[in-house]
Amino acid sequence: MSLVSLRLQKEIKMDTPAVDSQRVDRNRPLIRISDFDFSYGDKQALFDINMDIAEHKVTAFIGPSGCGKSTLLRCLNRMNDLIESARINRGKVEVNGVDIYDERVDATELRKRIGMVFQKSNPFPKSIYENVIYGLRIQGIKKKSQLDETVERCLKGAALWEEVKDRLDTSGLSLSGGQQQRLCIARAMAVGPEVLLMDEPCSALDPVATAKIEELIHELKNDYTIVIVTHNMQQAARVSDQTAFFYMGNLIEMNATDQIFMSPDKEQTEAYISGRFG
Amino acid sequence: MDKRSFKSRYQLACNRKSFLGLTRESALKGLFGGNAFVSIVVLGLITLFLFKEGAGFFGQYRDSLLLYRQSGLEYVELMRGQQNALSALTRYLNSIRSRQVEKLAEEGYDFQESRAITEESEDFFYDFEDLAVPLREHVIEANEILSAARDSYQEMQNLSEHRKSLLESGRQDEADALEIREIDFALFFDIVKSRESEYIEINENLIRGIEEILPSVPYFGDAELQAKTERFKELAEMFIEEVSKFEENVLAWERARSVPISEAFTSFIFGKKWVTNSSIQDWYGLIPLMSGSFLVALVAMFFAVPLGIGAAIYVNQVARSLERDLIKPYIEFISAIPSVVIGFFGIAVFGTLIREVSGWESLAWIDFFPISERLNAFTAGGLLALMAIPTIFTLAEDALNNVPLSYKEASMAMGSTRLQTILRIIVPTALSGIISAVLLGFGRVIGETMVVLLCAGNRIEIPRFAEGIGVVFEPVHTMTGIIAQELGEVVHGSMHYRALFMVGLVLFLISLLINYFAQKIVMKFQISRG
Amino acid sequence: MSPSKTVVRESMEKSLFGKSTKSKVVERLVFALFRLSTYFVLLCAATIFVDIVYKGGKTVFRSEFPFLNVEFLSDSPQTLHVFEHQGRKYEMSDSKFRSFREGIDEPIVTETYAYSGGGIWPCIAGTLLLVAGAMIIAMTLGVLSAIFLSEYSRPGKILNAVRLSILNLAGVPSIVFGIFGMGMFVLAFGWNVSLIAGWFTLAFMVLPIIISASEESMRAIPQGMRDASFALGATQWTTIRTNVLPYAMPGILTSSIIGVARVAGETAPIMFTAAYALRDQLPWEGLERWYDLFFQGVMALPYHIYVVSAKIPQNEYTSRMQYGTAFVFLFIIAAIALSSILLRIRMRKKYRW
Repeated sequence: MSLVSLRLQKEIKMDTPAVDSQRVDRNRPLIRISDFDFSYGDKQALFDINMDIAEHKVTAFIGPSGCGKSTLLRCLNRMNDLIESARINRGKVEVNGVDIYDERVDATELRKRIGMVFQKSNPFPKSIYENVIYGLRIQGIKKKSQLDETVERCLKGAALWEEVKDRLDTSGLSLSGGQQQRLCIARAMAVGPEVLLMDEPCSALDPVATAKIEELIHELKNDYTIVIVTHNMQQAARVSDQTAFFYMGNLIEMNATDQIFMSPDKEQTEAYISGRFG
Repeated sequence: MDKRSFKSRYQLACNRKSFLGLTRESALKGLFGGNAFVSIVVLGLITLFLFKEGAGFFGQYRDSLLLYRQSGLEYVELMRGQQNALSALTRYLNSIRSRQVEKLAEEGYDFQESRAITEESEDFFYDFEDLAVPLREHVIEANEILSAARDSYQEMQNLSEHRKSLLESGRQDEADALEIREIDFALFFDIVKSRESEYIEINENLIRGIEEILPSVPYFGDAELQAKTERFKELAEMFIEEVSKFEENVLAWERARSVPISEAFTSFIFGKKWVTNSSIQDWYGLIPLMSGSFLVALVAMFFAVPLGIGAAIYVNQVARSLERDLIKPYIEFISAIPSVVIGFFGIAVFGTLIREVSGWESLAWIDFFPISERLNAFTAGGLLALMAIPTIFTLAEDALNNVPLSYKEASMAMGSTRLQTILRIIVPTALSGIISAVLLGFGRVIGETMVVLLCAGNRIEIPRFAEGIGVVFEPVHTMTGIIAQELGEVVHGSMHYRALFMVGLVLFLISLLINYFAQKIVMKFQISRG
Repeated sequence: MSPSKTVVRESMEKSLFGKSTKSKVVERLVFALFRLSTYFVLLCAATIFVDIVYKGGKTVFRSEFPFLNVEFLSDSPQTLHVFEHQGRKYEMSDSKFRSFREGIDEPIVTETYAYSGGGIWPCIAGTLLLVAGAMIIAMTLGVLSAIFLSEYSRPGKILNAVRLSILNLAGVPSIVFGIFGMGMFVLAFGWNVSLIAGWFTLAFMVLPIIISASEESMRAIPQGMRDASFALGATQWTTIRTNVLPYAMPGILTSSIIGVARVAGETAPIMFTAAYALRDQLPWEGLERWYDLFFQGVMALPYHIYVVSAKIPQNEYTSRMQYGTAFVFLFIIAAIALSSILLRIRMRKKYRW
């Protein structure tokens, strides 16, 4: 496993000039969802979703509870595979033009490219160091220098390095809530994804910790494409470039964030944003 | 507002109906409390009772060991040790001869012919056997004298007990009619001791005899037999060297040495013999039983741990929900099979099956196959594994189930495979729960009675661990089995009865220890997970 | 599609499409191994069930009406006589053989097999009596104690110690309870081998299980439910009666049924306290005073299986009896265990909070 994946990573790196040339195009859709229907057992959760998620932008999913925003997010890296009754009825999700539900696609490889941060911070009951390099360990990477380098880079990237650099071997569970969440972000970054999916990453945090995470999202935008689910509209307004509004499993409206918050096209969107329901 | 008026306005103490100063509430509380008290007292009583009945054992055992020493029987036993070594040597010699006869039969000689061939070496065998006779007779004589003394001592003891009870009930004349003699062991022992020179002489003759005939060991053309005879020569020379050691021990033995209570304790805990109803001396040594119990338990855990944990991981992490809903109750159902039914299955089917399988041609390369006993540690262990699996499975599955789903999600979201997630995140997180599951499974196996009683073969001997893996196919006896087998026949309050209580107490302590550690591990685990 | 897009797509495909890497093969192998071990366990247990049900079924069931072997289920164990008479082969239990012999003058040569004739009714009756008595004692003491421990007692070190020791006693081997019962009830109290000694021995064996399981299910009820009841002015007992016991009932019932299965299935505790290998009379026959019922030993199924499998050799005639007994016993235990599993599944669906 380790050798193969390393070689592949190198190959991909050799390809990067081609990708780089694309990077200039900020509106190129990285993820394209088309005619997407999804259900849990008999209960349909998503209806006919069509959307493009642009590269190197922050896209926010908003909507009332149970509207399907988290479900869609989990569809993007096939986390729904873990739920037995989950079923895709129609449509597809393409990442860089590849349908990720193609049977040839390996879900684990996909998830290495599309990382995820969860609502409740969930560090493993291991040391901070081990938490960050978990993704590398499972790929069989053992080189100490590479691991050390990754830990430092990712913790710095997640703005946690200064706080924990002296106690990397203490348990990840000993950190505060906000630190734990940033640790989870660092952990997700260590695998080297292109996309970070964040499922209400701040819902369990206090305002100070939330501000830190939001700041972090701003910085991460340069290197990653970010999709964030939030129930906090101010947060969506603060951090995102694009916003998609969901209601009852339907995508009601998707547009640039300013547009959505200033002058939404749909009446439902306006009603939600102005707090008349939801 | 003044406090008092407040109180009178809001009178909170209410007058409930009461009977004999008890309200219904407090009566109920008393009822529940009383029950709890009774239960706790009774459960505590069990512990106390075990200790009480067991504790008397050491005193009695010490007395018995003291009698064994004072009567000089221990002295005889030392000589008997030498005699046993010699007879082992003779047995080995005989095995050579019977092997020779077998070989001749295989080669197609008929009885008369093979007899003619074996006759050549016959003299040597008989000569060697004859050498052992004087020692044997010496031992028997000494034993007869001393055990007669011991027996009459015990009879006198019984008589004086009887007299005491007669006196207590006021039957003076009957008591007076009893004739009680003092038995002085020293007198008897001196007789035996005075013949020590004879013993030394016997030994000298023995050594000389062996040395004389050893060069005339018959020569066999056959390589196998020849190797055996060579080995016999070595053994014989080793025996000659040992004789002086035996002699030293015999000469150095002192009758007057006292038996401290600690010796009774150590010869119970570390004793290598469990012999009851013996005419010479009863031995209550725990080691043969304990090693049997642990051997059976090890066999059981060898199968139960991988299977139980493997099944738990499969059902919890891999299986589909329909599969899970069927397998879980099924395995729980297995735990309800009564042990005696499993034991019966072992006798009726499993033991025979194992023996048949061990006789297969294709398995002949295993050096301890085919096995001779169908009831052995392996039979019992294999069946006990089936009883331990539900325990291990249920508790391990529980522990796996308690691992937060978010761990699994986090790991999967980073692109690890299911197996990586299981091995690196889920199992390590649930590890303490799994360990305590294994411990409790072990406790179940150690404490199980009926299966080992029916299927372990019930031979009270320390398994020959030196023989390697083949030891698991030896019949053994266990701590639980010995209680079940012997408790029905013992006299209330006798040393044997108390010895069985001591075994029960040891079992009790082992199971407490296992439970304690299992709980401790789980508790530690809960704290660490925060 | 622009050329550069194709490049991106191809590199994406290259990295995403499943490769049969070593780790995937390993994963498949290991999962297959796990599955194998699971099904191996199931198969082993099924072998035992099938063996006993198949061979025991032959003894218990009949192909013609009434389809059950009535003699086996209603008679006492007897010696089996196998003999030839006037060219016919007979198999008869002892009582039938005696009456048969009376009509015949010539002497009959028989082979006899101990315990192999007749039936096992006294064993079934004895087991039922043992279970009923032991469970009444254990349930009364156990549930009431659990109520006290969970609802009335003050949390603290003592309570924890009591709880811990009860939990520990639940793991003590049954034979230890057996020698306790033998020493205490049979010898020290002078009850001899009797029903009542067996009751108490078995009751104390399951008591820790019942206390800890009942208490567990009571403590699992959220404190809020009790508080709400107190806040409405209910007394402690009312609260327990209306807001604790109804919700704890499923747990208590399940634990007690597990207790029943354990009491009915154990052999070691009754070997020396309550069980006779053979007794002519049924427990309720030939009593001089009503309480003599308690002070007599009984036959019991598990002990009977032990006796017939350990003490008599296996052959065509004896094994019929052995398997029949094992089948009936297994059937009873299975019915109890099954009802506990079903009950728990139903109760779990009914009560959820």
